[in-house]
Amino acid sequence: MKFIIYLSIFFLLLTLPASAARKDSSETAKNIYLVRSVTIEPAIGLNPYPTSDLVFSNLVQWNLKKRLSIVSHTSFALNNAFLRVNNYIKTDYNYTLSQKFGVGTSLYSKRSSHTFSFMAGMRFDSFKETLENPEFEKFSAKESFISPDEGLMYSLKVGKKKHFLSFRTYIPLYPYPFKSSDVYSLDGNMANLSLEFGFGIRLK
Amino acid sequence: MGKMKKIVFILIIILLASCKKEVFSPELTKEFSILSTSNGANYNIKVALPQDYSPETQKYPAIYVLDGEENFNFVAENCNTISSDFPTTNVLVVSIGYGNDRAVDYTPVEGGGGAVTSGGGAEKFMLFIKNELIPKMENDYSADTLRKNRTILGHSFGGLFGAYAFTSFNKVFGNYILLSPSLWYENEIVFRFEQGNRNINKNNKQLVFLGMGQLENSGQMLAPFKAFIQLLQNNYPDIKITSHIEPQLSHQGSKNPNIIEGLNFYFQNRY
Repeated sequence: MKFIIYLSIFFLLLTLPASAARKDSSETAKNIYLVRSVTIEPAIGLNPYPTSDLVFSNLVQWNLKKRLSIVSHTSFALNNAFLRVNNYIKTDYNYTLSQKFGVGTSLYSKRSSHTFSFMAGMRFDSFKETLENPEFEKFSAKESFISPDEGLMYSLKVGKKKHFLSFRTYIPLYPYPFKSSDVYSLDGNMANLSLEFGFGIRLK
Repeated sequence: MGKMKKIVFILIIILLASCKKEVFSPELTKEFSILSTSNGANYNIKVALPQDYSPETQKYPAIYVLDGEENFNFVAENCNTISSDFPTTNVLVVSIGYGNDRAVDYTPVEGGGGAVTSGGGAEKFMLFIKNELIPKMENDYSADTLRKNRTILGHSFGGLFGAYAFTSFNKVFGNYILLSPSLWYENEIVFRFEQGNRNINKNNKQLVFLGMGQLENSGQMLAPFKAFIQLLQNNYPDIKITSHIEPQLSHQGSKNPNIIEGLNFYFQNRY
């Protein structure tokens, strides 16, 4: 049952941006789009599942052509940000650094643009936990590792001026299906799903 | 928009293909149910028989699989494959279905916090396995009566139950495959059981495999996992123990790869 819910959320997120874009495509024909050459978009967000991770990120988008852009997404996530002691287990630190690059295409309306990008890069995860149960000996354990980070990103920019509002969501395609075709591994994807809100600045 | 539809269609096909559930050979699968006198629950039991099953002439080791309804086919298929790869005698794979909520049957005491509002049925569930299921397997399916030929395999709360079996009913199973065990449960209650029963259990021979996923970073899995390994390594001279952290997978995703690792460890090292 849990997996049906995961899949439903996955497809919902996948189709929402598409339907939003479809709504705007008629306006595109009227040639009233807003094309920025280079933008920089800092944001703050969440990885909502399974624990709330706080994400600080920046997106740089360079529109090579009207419908072709390259993007760079850098993020720092403070994982499990709001629950640091649980059953005498303290989270000493828990963070993820990620750098991804991607290629995307954009659809435009009068006041907004929608960019869909395929992203690929690397992430570095590191966390340390300490078991401090007074009944037992204190014990610490840590893990640090690098893994691929691949997925689809939808980025929405709202506003016509130099400064604009920015929203983006990232749908990871790792570990499922690139590392593992086992549908159970989707919980790894879900843990890296992010929703980010911020503002953007047009540089060029 | 046509392209977008194609992409969504291809993704759906990939997802559906990967959702295909393995089904172990129906000819080699037996099924029955037991109404437990220990806790009053009705358990659906499935047994996967080895290919060359001959109960008249041979006794078979048995692997008891918790969350059987989810894990039976995968474990049975892989026992078949791994035992013939080595090659060695295959086992009986015994799937224990849900009689009660797993959060009741697999937890040793009430509590746990969060979504777990009740529990504490592990002792009665253990007595069901020990006094009702194992004797039936030995009488009707030629399961070996020696402790060293009994294995328990569990994931998450099932792994917690396996750890509880190790600490509090160590005479029942000689081998333990514990996957992402919820050792944090109720302030690491199984650590207290381990401490309390250490002197009784420490000289028993046993195989223990512990596995988890590298992405299990929710703040309560890693420290007790590694602390438990260290406890067993330091205090049990006759134990053979190994652990595996499956790279880049999380709690659910690491389950099947760790089942394969655990079964390989068992078939390679059984005594």
